Amino acid sequence: MTARKRRTILLAGLIVLGLVGFLTSLLIGPVPTGLSDLWRLVSKGDRDLAVIVVDLRLSRALLAFFVGAGLALAGAILQGFFQNPLADPFVLGVSSGSSFGAVLAIQLGLGVSFAAFSAQSLFAFVSGLLVVSFIYLLSRRRGVLKVETLLLTGIALGALASALTSFLLFLRTDSFEQAVFWLLGSFALAEWNQVGVVAPYVLASLLVAQWLARDMNLLSLGDETARSLGCPVDRVRGGFLVLATILAASAVSVSGIIGFVGLIVPHWVRIWIGPDHRHLFPFSALTGGVCLIFCDLASRSLLPATELPIGIITAAAGAPFFVYLLHRRS
Amino acid sequence: MSILDVRGLEAGYGEGPVIKGISFALGRGEFISVLGPNGSGKSTLLKAILRLIPRIEGSVAVEGREASRLGPRLMARSIAYVPQFPDASFAFTVEEVVLMGRYAHLGRFGRVSAVESRFLDEIMDLARIGHLRAKPLGRLSGGERQRVHIARALAQDAPLLLLDEPSTHLDVAYQLEVYRILRLLRREKGTAILCAEHNINLAVLFSDRLLFLKEGRLAAQGPPRRLVTRKLIRDVFGAEVDVRRNARTSLPEVSLIPPDEDAPCK
Repeated sequence: MTARKRRTILLAGLIVLGLVGFLTSLLIGPVPTGLSDLWRLVSKGDRDLAVIVVDLRLSRALLAFFVGAGLALAGAILQGFFQNPLADPFVLGVSSGSSFGAVLAIQLGLGVSFAAFSAQSLFAFVSGLLVVSFIYLLSRRRGVLKVETLLLTGIALGALASALTSFLLFLRTDSFEQAVFWLLGSFALAEWNQVGVVAPYVLASLLVAQWLARDMNLLSLGDETARSLGCPVDRVRGGFLVLATILAASAVSVSGIIGFVGLIVPHWVRIWIGPDHRHLFPFSALTGGVCLIFCDLASRSLLPATELPIGIITAAAGAPFFVYLLHRRS
Repeated sequence: MSILDVRGLEAGYGEGPVIKGISFALGRGEFISVLGPNGSGKSTLLKAILRLIPRIEGSVAVEGREASRLGPRLMARSIAYVPQFPDASFAFTVEEVVLMGRYAHLGRFGRVSAVESRFLDEIMDLARIGHLRAKPLGRLSGGERQRVHIARALAQDAPLLLLDEPSTHLDVAYQLEVYRILRLLRREKGTAILCAEHNINLAVLFSDRLLFLKEGRLAAQGPPRRLVTRKLIRDVFGAEVDVRRNARTSLPEVSLIPPDEDAPCK
């Protein structure tokens, strides 16, 4: 099968699955809704139904889609960046770092915003960037970083950031809901302005990533070869580091830590359509979005009358896959 | 005009220079091999010309233009490079890797034209990898992979090609195959070649001139026919060998002599 054909099949499959996922998201919930209700909403307009279907369910489905797209794109970028299919924002501790920054901003009571950036997302970005830069500097100093070192450094930094986050949350009175949100990830608080926070970042990052995709391909030949081929390696690397962090931080600041999506999705997409980042980036984003819609559906419907934090679903599905990958490599 | 003009080149990685006071010129279509013991600065010389290392002093002119003033893409159109241990992560195919060599010409969004597509086919034929084009690099043998990286460098269509020990880890048939490609390239496209090599006999056989490096300095240079002598090898490498005339080519040939078991260790 040619690469083009495989991409077409994947695209068709994702469109169908995506539509099914969106539609199911609109129909499932505590208030029973059927296709006839949807039709009534579209044709006649029903305010009560609109609040449930559009403001609660559609915003949530879109939020899940964009967060999934952002995390998967961040994973694809980090895997290319470290030339390692086991990297992703969660495993490298970037998500936990961002989560700590966001919680810190809230704890300090920083309601102010600079330009379009809230203190919360700015803190999330800075602390996420600190984590990933630290890992990158370690990797630069030692030449090519070994897989074990990369993963262990990320896991250690992630654990540290999580401990600090837990400490801050422990000081609060409403700590249980907050802890669930920041440490396990959730779309339960989804609303339209959160979609407005994350969607522009994801779309803009995808555009920039696309612009630099050929450069990312060159990096897989090693930095020196890439430079000798005409790639401005340092600027490209800097750009990708910032992109991956923006994606992880914006995802975390609206939905908490959702692990493993960024690891599994790009990995699977690469197996299916090949390693060319010009295709890997958009397809990872799309696949990640569709994937998280279904994870969110599962989190809403697995237990009666309550919902699971989505991070539990992605970890339950993703962690075994991660272990499988680790063992297949060695 | 020479294609490469190196004057008073000094370069290192921070803890003192690795190469010092290197000056030489490379003419259009000329083949120069750089020889010397391990650690004498062969790789560093190539990387300094390409400006891949942090500390560089002296001047390197490529086609009359100072290299430090060329941007990365202009540089890549002038000099192509095959590193000593070329590698590729992820399962890129042979064709994709060769196409990466066109980056300096295509830029970020350029598409391959019909003319360029024919050019790439020609290069893959020259490197004898046309039949492997759809295979991922990881599935190839060492010799095949080396040829893919040479083809990738040729795709840059640069007038100067630098290679860092292209015959390392290759068996004798593949070594000759690599050098056959280089000679063909030189004859058909007039590409100038600067090649770090540890196999003296291979270098003598294929080069117009040899540069011998010792402890980062240029120890000797000239055409192989007169340059390679028993004394030179002793001076540069500290090794006792025989140098004889090859019966077929009448070129000097290094042959090993069994070491004296009783000689004290140096």
